Amino acid sequence: MRTGIAGLDKMLHGGFVPGRPYIVSGPPGAGKTILAMQFLREGLEGGERCLFVCLEEPPNELKINMRAFRWNLDDLDVLDANSDIRRFEPTPLLEISTEEEPAKMRSIGERIRKTPDFESKEVSVHSLQQLLKTLLVKKHYERVVIDSITALRYFCMREFEEAVTTQSFMRYLAESKVTSLLTVELPDEAEVLAESFLARGEVRLHKLRDETGIKRFVSVEKYKGSSHDDAVYSFDITNAGIVINMTPRAPVAS
Amino acid sequence: MDRVKTGIVGLDTMLNGGFLPARPYVVSGPTGSGKTVLAAHFLLEGLRLQEPCLLVTLDEPPIEVKANMATFGWNMDRLKILDATPDVRAHKRQRSVIDVGTSLDVRDMEDVTDIRQSSQVRALEVTVHSVQKMIKQEFSQHLERTKQRYKRIAVDSMTALKMFSMEGQDSRILIQSFLRFLAELEATTLIVSERLDRRKLETEFFLGRGEIRMHKWIDGSMIRRALSIEKFRGSAFDDKMHPVTIGDKGMVVALDPPSQIRGTSPEGKPGESLLETRLIDEVSNVIESVMRQIEEAHRRQIPIRDVEVALSRAMLAFQRRNYQKAMKIALACNSQLRERIAEAPPPPPVGMPPRPPVIR
Repeated sequence: MRTGIAGLDKMLHGGFVPGRPYIVSGPPGAGKTILAMQFLREGLEGGERCLFVCLEEPPNELKINMRAFRWNLDDLDVLDANSDIRRFEPTPLLEISTEEEPAKMRSIGERIRKTPDFESKEVSVHSLQQLLKTLLVKKHYERVVIDSITALRYFCMREFEEAVTTQSFMRYLAESKVTSLLTVELPDEAEVLAESFLARGEVRLHKLRDETGIKRFVSVEKYKGSSHDDAVYSFDITNAGIVINMTPRAPVAS
Repeated sequence: MDRVKTGIVGLDTMLNGGFLPARPYVVSGPTGSGKTVLAAHFLLEGLRLQEPCLLVTLDEPPIEVKANMATFGWNMDRLKILDATPDVRAHKRQRSVIDVGTSLDVRDMEDVTDIRQSSQVRALEVTVHSVQKMIKQEFSQHLERTKQRYKRIAVDSMTALKMFSMEGQDSRILIQSFLRFLAELEATTLIVSERLDRRKLETEFFLGRGEIRMHKWIDGSMIRRALSIEKFRGSAFDDKMHPVTIGDKGMVVALDPPSQIRGTSPEGKPGESLLETRLIDEVSNVIESVMRQIEEAHRRQIPIRDVEVALSRAMLAFQRRNYQKAMKIALACNSQLRERIAEAPPPPPVGMPPRPPVIR
């Protein structure tokens, strides 16, 4: 299954194996969301049904951000899974259902969705999973992006059960047979995260700073069930999205 | 799309014109790197364009913010300040200062009547909540009064806000909710945050739609500052690091030539700034020594309230770059403290293990 980025397909020796969860990781500002969007755009062009689950930014901002690339994303389903402003009443309820339908990208407005005055929706990992289950049966998505799994981890689960819950969520994605791309936020000096163990493959984006500005690199950290390219390549974010320069670079410390 | 200018010429060029409107952004960096000055520039530019602007201050009381800004000669009279400093002090009422000390009190009274708030965990959570509530209240009252929405909001600082909220379980969710709240106000927001641990991913950094990072380092005997954009969603930007100078007129970002960052020869008036750096060093050494002695005095329960007041006066002079005056006061504090600590009874001996209870 092609990723929509020519260089990355080459690095992955053809693309992703369908039906498995993959991870794209990197520090804030590395280009994860753009990579994920290119993955979905490739699917849309082939007439596949694609879903983007927003957990970090509201869909209206996503739409404006992607406008610069002039991609046709009208048929993309976008699920707004951003939690509302928290109500500070003592509600220990974590299993609040979102009951939200994905919206087509073309119908997304310019302004942010407002938290209603009398109730607010807190998205829990359980409710999101339930919702995905229903959606996958109903709409037969072929590509799903979750942006980001870090937000899901930080805001939608209880800290003490993070590792277990993340594992269960990844397990659920693997069982659902959909090809999914999950973005993971890394701190500047990264440690190994639980998600990396659980995914079938990880594409890592690196961001380095030198005198001439930010340099971006991409590497395939792991790819189960297929050979892949071990080299680290530099890439640029252009008007056409991510473009990988296929001349190998010296490996960067990660 | 219209851009929201920061008012700092070089930075606006780096941002391709400015911020995208109605989104929260983060300014990060170590202490003294110029985060607050950047935020003040951003608000000043808003005032210049007749936009309603709000400063939510959690670090410094409004009176100090005002004094600090006055050193740049800026007229920020029309700026609304929401005093959310944890210590509610009795400042003199000023036209442009919304005294939330009282309204926060009202909140607290409300919370007391609510039986569910009585546990300590709730009480801690309410603090972040109450900041949010105060902003919301001010936002809607302002809308009612003037039929105008706040266009620019600066929160200084998130680090302080985090310290109110408890460490651990909920703090990420609280920050997520707070950022969501700021985004729903549809004002362009600047959040000042210190990056405490490079190995930890702080919530506001990945939820913020962009990050401007301030850098500060010592080059020979000069403090040098620079600025870079680390992330800016939905826009192209200049990704180079550019040197920053903070002068009488505020912050200036020098776009050319970028090689200046690494240069070793101090530009401008070397003699003067070198002298200034030495003075700063000397004064801060004395202040540090005073602070150590204050700690010691607290440990031994020696009353030193008047010295603390004098020290804060010294700090104010220091911030206003009146180094001679700061030095004078700080030295006086130092000798006072030494005297009192010497006079006080000796500290209880340390290292003695507590006696086990006698069992009869």
